[in-house]
Amino acid sequence: MRWIFVLSGVALAYGMAMPAVAATWQVDAAHSTLEFTNSYQDVRYTGQFKRFTAKIDYDPADLAHAKFDVGVDITSLDTQNSERDHAALGANFFDAAKFPRAHFVTTAFHKGAGGTVVADGTLTLRGISKPVELQVRFAPHGDDATLDVTTQLKRLDFGIGSGQWADTSLIGDRVTVHGHLVMTRAASTQAPSH
Amino acid sequence: MLLRSTEGGWGPVVRAFHWLVAVLIVAQGAIGLVMVDMGLTPAKLRVFALHKSIGLTILALVLLRIAWRLTERRPTDPPAMPHWQRRMARAMHIALYLLILALPLSGWWFNSAANAPLVWFGLFDVPSLTHGYAPAWKPRALLLHEALFWLLVALLVVHVGAALWHHFKQRDDVLKRMLLGPRRKSGDT
Repeated sequence: MRWIFVLSGVALAYGMAMPAVAATWQVDAAHSTLEFTNSYQDVRYTGQFKRFTAKIDYDPADLAHAKFDVGVDITSLDTQNSERDHAALGANFFDAAKFPRAHFVTTAFHKGAGGTVVADGTLTLRGISKPVELQVRFAPHGDDATLDVTTQLKRLDFGIGSGQWADTSLIGDRVTVHGHLVMTRAASTQAPSH
Repeated sequence: MLLRSTEGGWGPVVRAFHWLVAVLIVAQGAIGLVMVDMGLTPAKLRVFALHKSIGLTILALVLLRIAWRLTERRPTDPPAMPHWQRRMARAMHIALYLLILALPLSGWWFNSAANAPLVWFGLFDVPSLTHGYAPAWKPRALLLHEALFWLLVALLVVHVGAALWHHFKQRDDVLKRMLLGPRRKSGDT
């Protein structure tokens, strides 16, 4: 009899026993990145937040039930320049002591120009919440998928660098954010195979 | 040829290089000493950018200066100068050339290791010497840059002291023949 239980367990683990109810994805943090590009003294540089969490429900055929919920540990900032990181986390910029986390959550998804998917959501950064649109590119490979999201932000919209630091000739206002998520279909929601 | 140095004195090109580089080095040293104590403001970042641009300018001028010097003779030493002093003077000048090359190079190295931007007077990007951030080299490059600076200060004190000594104690033309203005020939005093 024991082999029956073993087989049932295997079947459950592969999701064969359950129909797909939602497309929930587990994010592989080790292979996922959250990067941004900005300019400093007219030289472009890229930074990243090394620690973030992302809850992803996404099925391109069912955008009504899609949802992204992303939390970012601001203190995990890394721009490959320790002085710049230190300054960026200080009160003049991200003020990480007061606002250690940023949060993005989607409110709706819609189709953009050329059939692309756009996620509408709210970004809360440095205590300021603003609507933000993400360009979404989803590439499934069986039970794995990659999700690339891109958006353009303005640092001054979120009070990152005020007063004398609002000078955009020194530090550019426009920031391009790019998230690259490597994901696996969550076990309980795997599509029935075969 | 009028631009060249002769047996009797330095040519105008050498003298122009000498004083241009001298003025830039004094300004550069003063800016460097002031900027490190500034609080973090946009002004500080601009002063750092200026220091880097002047440093690259000095590096380019010194390379041109050495190239020029290699093509021409040096004036003869005052006849009263003993052999050991001539050797010391040559060694001192070679050391000064090496230092004013090494100082901007060490600054460029430090800037590269720190992954800071390097744009010559806002006009063009200068490449990194370390292919990006190299935190392990950063403290070493900074220490080298500072050590070379203080070594240069010490050698410049000797250099200026020797020039004044030649002029006021020896009463020879070693200082005068480096001054700007119409060419002075030895024996014109």
